[in-house]
Amino acid sequence: MRTGIFFCQVEDGKNLNIDAIAKYSANLTGVEIVQIMGFRPHLDVNTLRELILTNNLDRIVVAGDMPGYFKPVFTKAMALAGRNPEEVRLASFQEHGAKGDVALDRAKATVACANMAVPFSLVAVPSGNPVSHATLVIGGGIAGIQASLEIANAGKLVYLVEQTGTIGGHMAMFDKTFPTLDCAACILTPKMVSVGQHDMINLLTNSRVTEVSGKPGAYRVKIHQRARKVDVESCVACNICVEVCPVKVESEFDSKISFRKAIYIPFPQAVPNAYLVDNEHCSFILSEGQKCGVCVKKCPKECINLNAPDKDFDIEVGNIIIATGYELLDVGKIEQYGYGKFPNVLTSLEFERLTNASGTTGGRIVTKSKRINKKTDKEEWFFASDGIPPRSVAIIHCVGSRNKKYNAYCSRVCCMYSLKFAHLIKEKIPNVNVYEFYIDMRAFGKGYEEFAERIRHEGTFVVRGHSASVTMDNDHLIVKGEDIMIERLVEFKVDMVILAVGLIPAPGTEELSRILGINRDSDGWFSELDYNGNPTDTERGGIYVAGMCQAPKDIPDTVAQASAVAAGVLRSITSGKGIGHLSNVSLSDIEARAKTVHTL
Amino acid sequence: MAIRINPQLIDVLDRFGAEDVQLCYQCGDCTTVCHHADEVFAFPRKSMRQLQMGLEQKIETALEPWLCYYCGQCSEQCPREADPGETMMSLRRWLIGRYDFTGIAKQFFKSRVTEILAVVGVAVLTGLFLFYYGFTRGNINVYDGEGAFLPSDFIHRFDLIIGSVMLLFVIINAARMWYFTMIMGSKVAIPWWLYIKHILVLPWQFFTQKRYAKCENERDKPIFMPWIIHLGLMLGYLIMLLLVMVFIEQLQTGPAINWKVHIFGYLATIGLTIGTIYFIRSRLSKNYVQYKKSHGTDWVFVTMLFIIVVTGIAQHILHRVGLFESANVMYVVHLMVVVPWLLRMPFSKWAHLVFRPLGMYFAAIQKEAILRQEAISGTFAISIK
Repeated sequence: MRTGIFFCQVEDGKNLNIDAIAKYSANLTGVEIVQIMGFRPHLDVNTLRELILTNNLDRIVVAGDMPGYFKPVFTKAMALAGRNPEEVRLASFQEHGAKGDVALDRAKATVACANMAVPFSLVAVPSGNPVSHATLVIGGGIAGIQASLEIANAGKLVYLVEQTGTIGGHMAMFDKTFPTLDCAACILTPKMVSVGQHDMINLLTNSRVTEVSGKPGAYRVKIHQRARKVDVESCVACNICVEVCPVKVESEFDSKISFRKAIYIPFPQAVPNAYLVDNEHCSFILSEGQKCGVCVKKCPKECINLNAPDKDFDIEVGNIIIATGYELLDVGKIEQYGYGKFPNVLTSLEFERLTNASGTTGGRIVTKSKRINKKTDKEEWFFASDGIPPRSVAIIHCVGSRNKKYNAYCSRVCCMYSLKFAHLIKEKIPNVNVYEFYIDMRAFGKGYEEFAERIRHEGTFVVRGHSASVTMDNDHLIVKGEDIMIERLVEFKVDMVILAVGLIPAPGTEELSRILGINRDSDGWFSELDYNGNPTDTERGGIYVAGMCQAPKDIPDTVAQASAVAAGVLRSITSGKGIGHLSNVSLSDIEARAKTVHTL
Repeated sequence: MAIRINPQLIDVLDRFGAEDVQLCYQCGDCTTVCHHADEVFAFPRKSMRQLQMGLEQKIETALEPWLCYYCGQCSEQCPREADPGETMMSLRRWLIGRYDFTGIAKQFFKSRVTEILAVVGVAVLTGLFLFYYGFTRGNINVYDGEGAFLPSDFIHRFDLIIGSVMLLFVIINAARMWYFTMIMGSKVAIPWWLYIKHILVLPWQFFTQKRYAKCENERDKPIFMPWIIHLGLMLGYLIMLLLVMVFIEQLQTGPAINWKVHIFGYLATIGLTIGTIYFIRSRLSKNYVQYKKSHGTDWVFVTMLFIIVVTGIAQHILHRVGLFESANVMYVVHLMVVVPWLLRMPFSKWAHLVFRPLGMYFAAIQKEAILRQEAISGTFAISIK
């Protein structure tokens, strides 16, 4: 075929050497003329028609960053010249990722493909690297657990790296899940146990990824495992070490509303079900062996070794799944809610632990009681299991979310868990008043709207309007807001305020993004390749995101995404294809493949 | 009653300074933090909403803008940075234009060029007229008494004429405000005796501006600076206006200082000087939320007042030290700014001196009327209407 190639740029592509591409295109088979039309050219149909007729062209290739913009003119010119208007082919640089180091070759390849009328995406398939069959999962929350189980159940090896002493993540802290009000632990703990017992899952708790090298399909990962100082195999969780340990530390698992010891188990259902030592607080370790060490002496199984060294592993994996999750925004900096100043202003996770049957009050919802700390001789507030239940509770939505000063984005789960809280309070305390302050009720999922409706019917006062002021009056908290439905200021005396705090990426996300070479978006979450088309892949082949670390999402979405990620991993392992990145495909490869497809 | 929507209203208000109204998503945080919002007048969110919906009739009959002293808490708290405080300020500008039946105020607020041209034009005309009058009738080397360049009885008459014309405008505009807010805008019938019951609100708020002081309770250091300075500026202005309108002849005798009259003049000058310098400095440094955005008319307002104060002080000093020729020239310059200032009064930011206490007075009346109505019907009268 006699082809004419026309370069029409829309953007000022300074990094793209159009002359070089034009020179290359002139040597392609069948090319009659190559014209550089310039930056945003004004094309005249009649001139083009003349050009087609004088050169007797059968096919036109429009090349550029957005060639589709110019296609109609060329189609019309072809039709006027009496040629087949279908034979206007596009070589789109932008669409096929002609940027960065690969820009020139990629642009050439798109022109070559268009010249042969072969779809670029058909031939530019990265050839499969030999893929290591092992997978690394970073983060042992519900996303990491789900993805690990899916892959391991397919018979492939998984390394599950978890920073804390147990897997389970935030979901293990929850009491109920919305909107079904299922017990969260009943869903999660069987999965956790499966992970712990699975032959194909290598569980590395207390560990961090420190270095990642290699390429897709064969990543070399360095993992640093802090010593647990308790032998997982022989520990029987008899709890004697905890009883003798003199050091008290705020429990991270209990959102710091209760205390644990320096040797502890995060919660009774922890996996692995063994104790661990907190290096930052253990007096034996802090004094370098000078003090304490009682637990070692008392342990009947002799499984505690406070001198155990940290370990470093080198593993090779084919795929990496990031499932690092989230944390709560530091709500202390939003001063108007008085968090940290008034004892009974709680964050959502604190309330979650308070109402949890395995929590410090055994699931009783109570206000904080006062006691004198004997050591410091100061008053402190704590949750006593025989504390006084609140008579009224206010729940404030959108604390730090949808706010240009903190998080501009919606944290997506707060509306629903706040409604869930309202239900739990109503269920556990008779005659309690619950006030929900919301801006917009985002009940977007299956059964969510019905759930919201149900909570309203249960007698919760749902106030359309935010509250920006929590003050203290005698023993009561005063929550003030505007009910925009009746355009009135409302003021409620409550005993407890729960703040639906916005979510931010987990600590260490930035460091991990540097280690893995994955971009983060402006809010700090990991960037996916394409939000609609490839929501689980990242720019680097063989690295995936699952769960909250990509963006706030609820448990069903997290589990669904984790399973989707597992599908991607298994596809790459079984096919051995697609794991490589397009940048690994050379120009000559694409040319050769295009020729074979063309002759077919 | 059907309500007519004006979709362009929000674009009109843009010219008056409310640029970010569309960002508002109705969370009500602004109303919550406002110290003046109460059970009947919950603002500024309501005004934001009415603007977004283009409810022109509701806004022109609203009293809420006059209840706001712009402490800026709402704008500081706003999660959308929609700047409700500035919106209330812009609504006050718009309402001044709306109450003004001549339409001049609207033009001034909309176009800075028109306003400056009008001011300069009047200033030049005044200067020409005064120089003509002075040179034909008097001697530039004589300041007061026989053969004075600008005899004080002439200035007195001149002042009274301008003053009464302007007073007429102000009264008509205030009457329009009453009609808009109390007749068209009132949600309930208002018994006549409520006007008498609350009459004391008017002088109380006018002379003390206690509401403004309330705005500053929440500051880190509530030293009540803007309130005291604003009050000083206003009282100084009022005293000076009285002196100029009534006691101009005693004021202009000299060169000996007539303490009985001049002591008031000095006190007023102190208030005016501190006030204008403070507000110009604040607007330049933008140290508080309320000074972050300055509309063109705000600048014209403080700058003109500042020039009046400076030239006034200068002509007074020149007169006392015996430089009569310079004093006369300075006096003409002073009057060249004073006359456009006086003529501008009912059409400018100045009008809030009248409308704000009136607004609070009307609001107090409406509030009681509405609460009485609610007590009878047992429901929210507002939400029913």
